[in-house]
Amino acid sequence: MSFLTPLFLLGGVAIALPVVFHLIRRTTRDRTRFSSLMFLEPSPPRLTKKSRLEDLWLLLLRCLALGLLAFGFARPFFPEPEAATTPSAAGLPRVVLLDTSASMRRTGLWSAARERAEAVIREAAPEDAVALYTFDRVVTPRITFEEWASTAPGERGALVAQRLAGVAPGWSSTRLGTALARAAEALVERESGRTMERGRVVVVSDLQEGSRLETLQSYEWPKGIQVIPAGVRTAIPGNATLQRAGETAGGAAVGDDVLRVRVNNTPDARQEKFQVGWVSSDGGSFDGTPVEVYVPPGQSRIANLPQPATNSHPDRVVLRGDSEPFDNTVYVTPPAVRRSRILYLGSDPASDPRQPLYFLSRALPVTRRVGVDLDQRSPSAAPVNAEWDAARMFVVTEAVSESVAGALRSQAESGKTVLAVPRNAAAAASLAPVLGIPSLGAEEGSPGNYAMMSEIDFRNPLFAPFADARFNDFTRLHFWKYRRIDPAGIPGARVVARFDRGDPALVEVPVGKGRVVVLLSGWHPEDSQFALSTKFVPWIVSLLEIAGGVETSSPAFLVGDDIPLSAWGPDLSGPVEVIGPGGRRVALPAGAASFSDAMEPGPYVVTVDGKSRQVVVNVDPVEGRTLPLAVDELERLGVPTGPMASAAESGPAVPPKPGSRRDSIAEEGRQKLWRWFLVATLVIVFGESVLAGRLARRAPSAPQFA
Amino acid sequence: MESSASARNRDGAGGSRISAPALMGIRNLELRARAVVEGFRSGLHRSPYHGFSVEFTEYRQYSPGDDLRHLDWRVYARSDRYFLKKFEDETNLRCHFVVDQSRSMDFGTVGYTKASYAATMAATLAYFLHLQGDAVGLLSFDERVREFLPARHRPGQLRHLMLALEKPAGGTATDLAAPLKRLVEIVRKRGVLVLISDFLAPIDRLENSLAQLTASGHEVLAFRVLDPSELQFEFQEPALFEDVESDRTQFIDPGAARAEYRRRFEAHGDQLKSVCRKLGVGYHPVRTDEPLERVLLEFLQERGRRRQPLRRRESGSRGGGA
Repeated sequence: MSFLTPLFLLGGVAIALPVVFHLIRRTTRDRTRFSSLMFLEPSPPRLTKKSRLEDLWLLLLRCLALGLLAFGFARPFFPEPEAATTPSAAGLPRVVLLDTSASMRRTGLWSAARERAEAVIREAAPEDAVALYTFDRVVTPRITFEEWASTAPGERGALVAQRLAGVAPGWSSTRLGTALARAAEALVERESGRTMERGRVVVVSDLQEGSRLETLQSYEWPKGIQVIPAGVRTAIPGNATLQRAGETAGGAAVGDDVLRVRVNNTPDARQEKFQVGWVSSDGGSFDGTPVEVYVPPGQSRIANLPQPATNSHPDRVVLRGDSEPFDNTVYVTPPAVRRSRILYLGSDPASDPRQPLYFLSRALPVTRRVGVDLDQRSPSAAPVNAEWDAARMFVVTEAVSESVAGALRSQAESGKTVLAVPRNAAAAASLAPVLGIPSLGAEEGSPGNYAMMSEIDFRNPLFAPFADARFNDFTRLHFWKYRRIDPAGIPGARVVARFDRGDPALVEVPVGKGRVVVLLSGWHPEDSQFALSTKFVPWIVSLLEIAGGVETSSPAFLVGDDIPLSAWGPDLSGPVEVIGPGGRRVALPAGAASFSDAMEPGPYVVTVDGKSRQVVVNVDPVEGRTLPLAVDELERLGVPTGPMASAAESGPAVPPKPGSRRDSIAEEGRQKLWRWFLVATLVIVFGESVLAGRLARRAPSAPQFA
Repeated sequence: MESSASARNRDGAGGSRISAPALMGIRNLELRARAVVEGFRSGLHRSPYHGFSVEFTEYRQYSPGDDLRHLDWRVYARSDRYFLKKFEDETNLRCHFVVDQSRSMDFGTVGYTKASYAATMAATLAYFLHLQGDAVGLLSFDERVREFLPARHRPGQLRHLMLALEKPAGGTATDLAAPLKRLVEIVRKRGVLVLISDFLAPIDRLENSLAQLTASGHEVLAFRVLDPSELQFEFQEPALFEDVESDRTQFIDPGAARAEYRRRFEAHGDQLKSVCRKLGVGYHPVRTDEPLERVLLEFLQERGRRRQPLRRRESGSRGGGA
């Protein structure tokens, strides 16, 4: 019989209590009234042998009740009489997982891990089945069960040495969860006919806190597979990690010429003082003055790093002062302002706060990375090709001539965005050529007091930022005037939002590669409150994003990430060439959707269709969390673990634990013996009460006349 | 508990005795008292109505306005000073029963408590004295005065006295000091004080209290009422002993504690006895299983003994004063 919570057996010590009480109680049960105690001295309680004999049955029942209670609380169960009890672990298949993540680059770890893996494999008996996998972000089988079986026992050592010869830690993050799941699957596939003990997974790793275990949360761990963590430790504790911090709203206050980086220090670190600074691509000394950062162990600090001098071109920020340099470099894309051009076709003065242009010019984002140039042109002026080709977006507020409308349509067809905000019915009607229809019936809408926007399609990218329940209230936005058109006659037109009377408020019409967006009420105060509402600026930015005027995705990636090539432009079909760190050139086939071989940190220059852009790939900052992983973390995720054994011990010589705790819980939950113990306790307590009552009646206390 | 026959042999008085348990079985206190007194009187064949006489008690210096009839001319002849003779009517005895009703009296192992025995004793003596035409009064106390009836001889007095005696014992301590001090204040006229208590209190406190009484000129008789178990401490089983006065409990193994108890109890009794002798207080220990007639007899014998020394003392004082 085993116990799930054997500590409760200590409660059995309470049996001593009734024994003691029985001895003492007998002497103190009777109370005798006496006139005065002035001539009496208290006597010490006497434990007489007689009392022990008198209530022996009662004492026995009480002790039994307590003992059974303690026994029940200890949750006893009979372990399944199965292979678990037979220590024939010698024949167990075993998967050795060897960590090759970036954190294994720390001093001395890799050689220790490799030796340990080799020791585990070496100690396998000739009939044992062993597989060797390495893992970081991906799992790479080095020796499969089949290869192992097909190799003569004498040659297996050489096989291992050969397969591990070229293996070294990379720069990827540790996806331990994925690796464990993969190893478990390999063991399940190699079904050995056992149900309780399918095999072992020996993890040779630094088992750092930053190991990602998310996969295990949705993975049902197969029964009978135990994980033996064979951790390796570095002699130098502590690690500091450099990480690029996001640009927050506060960034504007700090200034655009500042790079924010975060320095994390592990709780076991010894260093506290670090230097952060720009370093040129040669990796030498700091370019300019480094920033001193003081980070106590277990904390993190943000450092504001001034942008480098204009004449030098450093591409990385380096943290110095840390003993483990693998995660101390952050590659930074050289700052480049991406400028977009918007042509505003309207005649209203930009300084008049009652006109649309006034608000539009103020709503456009201008950051260090993005600049939008807004140019105003007369709607009647003939289009200038150079100007128009340079623009990403066109905004039309007034009636346009047919030639201008035709030019707008051709621009839209080439992939640009035209935003039409007709100020009157005539302006709306003049949009017909832009929309590709012969005529467009438009009239002034009659909102009564005011109109509100309703039936908004929040899945549309224009309104997607407002999809959250906190932001999707448009009822406070009142429209005094609007134009009414019939979108049914426009081919492909999609009504994205309507006014509360059912008239369309926003119509999106795809034209060629681009689109025409018609907003049927102006944002200026004469028409509505739109420009003054909090929705206006996000809406304009969404529109710019659709138009390709701003870029939201950061061109920064982590080691192993897929670099999508769609950012280089839609429908690119030309050849793709990637120049990685150190000048490594990779050619991808034409039409490749992404580049997935960024296995080293550093700058990558990707050329698609002759269009080059630089992206940077960095080490996952999570990899820098080098504190040891809590052992019960795996248990918590349902993965039974064996003892933290040394390399020599983790082999078959160690008698296996008879079932993991998880199995015990399941077994105990099935048997539920504690219920019977509880019932027995209740029966005994009842019997004790009956017996005690009978005894009390039989021996009435001596009569007292008082 | 002793039989009535043995009791009769011991005190030597004739007449039929009622054993104490049988007597205490009578519910009515007055009936109990009457049963004892009538039985006693029928056995004693001695009439209490032996006639009135006037007894000289003391001299007092004459002061103008005094009645000249009481002037002792013989003393004047001898000493050339005026002295008045003071007389006391013997039958006009004023007797106060001072009965302890503290909770220590509320204890007994013979079928009734010391308190009820003491009440019966007081009632018996009072009834007897009342029949003789004496004035009887009562003061019952625990740690303070509970009930006070001034000594009188009038119809209904006895009944009031019985009612007061029938009240249950209370209080938490036996403290003679405060009640007796109060008694001295209230009872100005000298008389007989019959103190009925178990005297389970420290000796020094008892001594002070008794000294106050005797100093005020009263004739004091102390009856110490004790349960047989208090004398012998014949308990067998170890038990938690509870003090009936203070409710304090204490674990006692009687086998081990008996010898020491008896020694201390007897020492206390001896001390009390010597204190009484020193103060001229008649000391009479009474077991609650003893017949009350013996108590009555002792009372009368004590009264008879006391008369002579009193006279001698008074005559001595007269000589001193003259």
